[in-house]
Amino acid sequence: MTNWGMIIDLQKCIGCYSCMISCKQEHFLPPGVFWNRVIIGEDGKYPAVNKQIYPVLCNHCVEAACVKACPTRATTRRDDGIVIIDYDKCVGCRYCLIACPFQQRTFYTDGEKEYFPGQGLTEYEEIGRRLYPLETGTVMKCNFCSERIDAGIEKGLKPGTDREATPACVIACPTEARVFGDLDDPNSEVSRKLREEKGVQLHPEYGTEPSVYYVG
Amino acid sequence: METYDWMVKYTPQSEWIERRGVLLWLAFFFIELGAGIFFMASFFDNIQAMMAGWLVCAILGGGFHFVFLGKPARFWRIIVSSGWQTSWISRGLIFVSLFLILGLIHLVLTTWADSGVALLVVIDIFAFLTIIYGGFAMNYVNGIPLWNTALLPVLYIVSGLLGGAEIVLGITVASGEISSGIAIEEWIRILMIGYIILIPIYLLSTRYTSVTGKASIRYMLLGRWSQVFWGVVVLVGIIVPVAAIISSYAMGLETTPVAFLYTAIFSGLIGDLTIRYLILRCGLYAPLIPISGTQSTPVRS
Repeated sequence: MTNWGMIIDLQKCIGCYSCMISCKQEHFLPPGVFWNRVIIGEDGKYPAVNKQIYPVLCNHCVEAACVKACPTRATTRRDDGIVIIDYDKCVGCRYCLIACPFQQRTFYTDGEKEYFPGQGLTEYEEIGRRLYPLETGTVMKCNFCSERIDAGIEKGLKPGTDREATPACVIACPTEARVFGDLDDPNSEVSRKLREEKGVQLHPEYGTEPSVYYVG
Repeated sequence: METYDWMVKYTPQSEWIERRGVLLWLAFFFIELGAGIFFMASFFDNIQAMMAGWLVCAILGGGFHFVFLGKPARFWRIIVSSGWQTSWISRGLIFVSLFLILGLIHLVLTTWADSGVALLVVIDIFAFLTIIYGGFAMNYVNGIPLWNTALLPVLYIVSGLLGGAEIVLGITVASGEISSGIAIEEWIRILMIGYIILIPIYLLSTRYTSVTGKASIRYMLLGRWSQVFWGVVVLVGIIVPVAAIISSYAMGLETTPVAFLYTAIFSGLIGDLTIRYLILRCGLYAPLIPISGTQSTPVRS
């Protein structure tokens, strides 16, 4: 079986927001909606201050709280481990959004919002609405660029190795802080890195078994 | 770019209480109140109160639930999908639907003849499940310690039944059936004692579950919402009804001023509505990234 997952190396991340921007660009996300975020904070007191940078996204949990919470089965976990939302089935009850302990879901309300208010949609936004017809009144989140993965596999490419089949945030990272691959394949780079560098998950106490790990 | 406060501080959930989220708060309240009225009325064979409970549940509870949804026209998917296997929202809608359908059949049948005790028992089971499902739906959310406690469904059962009993008492007194009113009042006394005991146990147990639980309780009792808690939940919602209960116990229900009785019933309902608001409003998530020194106060939402 395949179980797509990601490792983020916090030592390599420089907080450039490339992942965040590339994600918005890849999915033509409307204003105010982010599927990838970079959290920058400070820890400690002067003179022992640490700057902390945490890129966060949907954790595509193995025991996803959102999947169990969804009353219409709009949110499902595919056989390859990617948690996806079927916008046509979502009723907009936001139970998944509440149930996600990582707060990685967004309720999409304003379909008319433009990047440049009052100036109409840009060509980029118009293309985006044709390619990714997001539905207002439904919930959205990161899909691990499942469309890139699916199209890549059809072409015989290997996600995580071939750029065309790899999530946009991973290939956009200038320091290669993100590694994507099959967690069930012991020979994949992501599995090797996880083994060698002892990756940790966010809030393992919730028991959701996130597929996104952090090292460094 | 600013740090995302909601990921480094305790963050109140907002989707189920802000903007259109307010509708869900009202929906949970009226659904459970309506089912509570029906449930309590069925024990006293009070058809008027049963009808009132059914209407509160269907029109106010169901109506608020319906308009809260982002895609209301798709609500049928909640019932026909297999979501009930894991989702409390799906289970809840099934319970509510069965309660309303069977309740309507019972109410229609009783206008001609006795519809039978068996049907009423089945309806009461679904009424009870209707009262309880909101608590379980919230209890499932393990990211919010204030909700993720087994005491929450219990609190909602007691408050749903208490609210229902209060309304049934109001309807009974209005129709002049004092003997039934005395029996209902005995139920109210028991439920009120349970409610008064449960609230501090619920708050104290949450206080000691985790640091986020402690932050939620502080937020509610000592922080931004403290005046609402002590003023409305405790004073209006508990002390006024308790005063009425003591007064009627001492003087007898017949001699208790009706205005005082109705004021106490109204106060009790306001208190119940308010504590439900605070439980939704003060449900805090733990910071996603624990960075010390940045989590002393919740993010203002």
